[in-house]
Amino acid sequence: MNALFKSATTLGVSLLLVSTFVTQPAYANGPIGEHVNHLQANIKDYSEEVEWMVAKVDTLVSNYETKGAKAVNSDDLIEYWESVKFHSAIETNYVPVYASIWQSLYGIKMAIDNNKPASEVRAQQTALNAALWQGLGAVKLAAKFQQKGVLDAVKTTATENMTQSATVDEIKHKLDRVVAKYAERLSDEATSIVHDTYLHLFEGIEGTLIEQDANLVEVLEKDFNVTLPKAISDNKTVDQVRDVITDMQTKLDRAKALIEKAEKTRKDVF
Amino acid sequence: MERRTFIQGLAAMGAMGALPLSLSQAFAATVANPVSVEDLPKLKGALTLYLGRGEGGLYEDVLKAIEKRNPDLKLAIRRGPTAALANTIVAEAKAGIRRSDLFWAVDSGAIGLVSDAGLAQPMPSDLAAQLQPQFRYKDWAPVTGRVRTLPFNTARLTKEQIPTSIMDIADSDLSIGWAPAYSSFQSFVTAMRLLEGDDKTVKWLKKTKQRAKTYAGELGVVMAVERGEVDIGFANHYYTLRLKSGKPDAKLDLAFTEQDAGCLVNASGILALNPDPLATNFMRYLLSTQVQSYLAQEAYEIPLVNGVAQPEGLPSLAAISPPKIDLTQLADLRPTIDLMRNSGVL
Repeated sequence: MNALFKSATTLGVSLLLVSTFVTQPAYANGPIGEHVNHLQANIKDYSEEVEWMVAKVDTLVSNYETKGAKAVNSDDLIEYWESVKFHSAIETNYVPVYASIWQSLYGIKMAIDNNKPASEVRAQQTALNAALWQGLGAVKLAAKFQQKGVLDAVKTTATENMTQSATVDEIKHKLDRVVAKYAERLSDEATSIVHDTYLHLFEGIEGTLIEQDANLVEVLEKDFNVTLPKAISDNKTVDQVRDVITDMQTKLDRAKALIEKAEKTRKDVF
Repeated sequence: MERRTFIQGLAAMGAMGALPLSLSQAFAATVANPVSVEDLPKLKGALTLYLGRGEGGLYEDVLKAIEKRNPDLKLAIRRGPTAALANTIVAEAKAGIRRSDLFWAVDSGAIGLVSDAGLAQPMPSDLAAQLQPQFRYKDWAPVTGRVRTLPFNTARLTKEQIPTSIMDIADSDLSIGWAPAYSSFQSFVTAMRLLEGDDKTVKWLKKTKQRAKTYAGELGVVMAVERGEVDIGFANHYYTLRLKSGKPDAKLDLAFTEQDAGCLVNASGILALNPDPLATNFMRYLLSTQVQSYLAQEAYEIPLVNGVAQPEGLPSLAAISPPKIDLTQLADLRPTIDLMRNSGVL
């Protein structure tokens, strides 16, 4: 668990950003519950759900190990995950871990469906357990922020003003959601998020950005319109798609610094 | 054209009676000239503004500045996609309620939707008179403009090699970059439909498509022109100006067609839904010298009042010959989308 809080500062910042700009309460697996706005009151449930999930997956993997593929239904893995409230608690609070959970779930499922050795399945299970516990840690931290009143309620409409530099953070968050949806095997939704993020968010900042660094805009344009959609349509691995996005997020960090500089030097209206 | 109202002078002196003397004097002395914010009435009271997203936050800067200058103004802002907000305003009116006092939209089509529903309040004539004559409407104020252009690669072409008729471009041998999914492109096609008719527009789309390369957005189009991937592009003017600002040695220049949809000047606009003078006084701030200058310099938008400099690198409006078209007619995008789909462009 120590590792969970290694990046507490970074995670805290991410949580704040996520909470500020989450605008889509309806997710692929149904609407999120009101419980996500009362994390502290639900921590005990979330903890029990994680333990239950870990045990159920372990039972399924053990059955596969001892009795073979015919003894298990790998689709149950997805049902386990979708049945727990913790699912939406992590989806609304720390998308990168949410993506890792889906990635590991499908890792186990595909290994079973392809009759891979039990050791390979166990490796995926280990990754899943780590992601689940990390997710629980993230939700606990989010609960603390929520208790302190610094974590806004999940909103249903996008009505807040966003500076251009805040828009960059929102773009990065949307890209995290792309990985999550891709890991969930929802490629069309992932692609749709890429296109919407480009049209509704990136387009709003690239005018300013191109005055600061035209080449940076050029490579990000290519990333949004060619590299990332192609990685998704070519069915690259989740890790490969994540690599593309991590690279884009690094470029976006540079974009944010340039935009902040431009915002500081912008003349007053009056 | 029937809804366009040309206002020839200061007719509504009665409305001006409500203004401070100094402002009345300013209007009387400077017909069709912009007013300095120093001469505008202080805004006191509560207003709700529906703000269509656009210009990457620069409209927000303007609003913050207005609020800062008017501490007694309580401004509530609802933000959203322009078309969605226009639909909301119409839906609210049908339900017998009005939640918004003002609507600032990034394109005039959405303004047309609200205006056609009869929800917009008449423009005070002295305010309309500040706008250049071709941008005077009876119930809304264009705030800033943008012109359709043909960015071209200067290493591959000279301006003289580019047809001055948008319809002739379909028959040229130029390679073209376009972004059909982009709303400004669709407004341009709508203008072509209104000016040339559906049949000619379909033929133009089909012919042009054979030599066109599609991009997601119009900055992408302009960058492709600069890279030499295509000879020319269809794009709003500010993308080229901004790219040249960041890359002064870019092999890029602007060409314009003449008196057709290819050089359509579209506009963002604001209208009042509430007859309270506070709403129209708020609109005055957007047409002030300072706001017009700010949007011209920072957003590269075209000021629509006299005496404010154009963005650097753009010819004056007088040197461009845009088509005569009622911008609010651009609201009806559905036939355009159908036509583009039927032509295989979308």
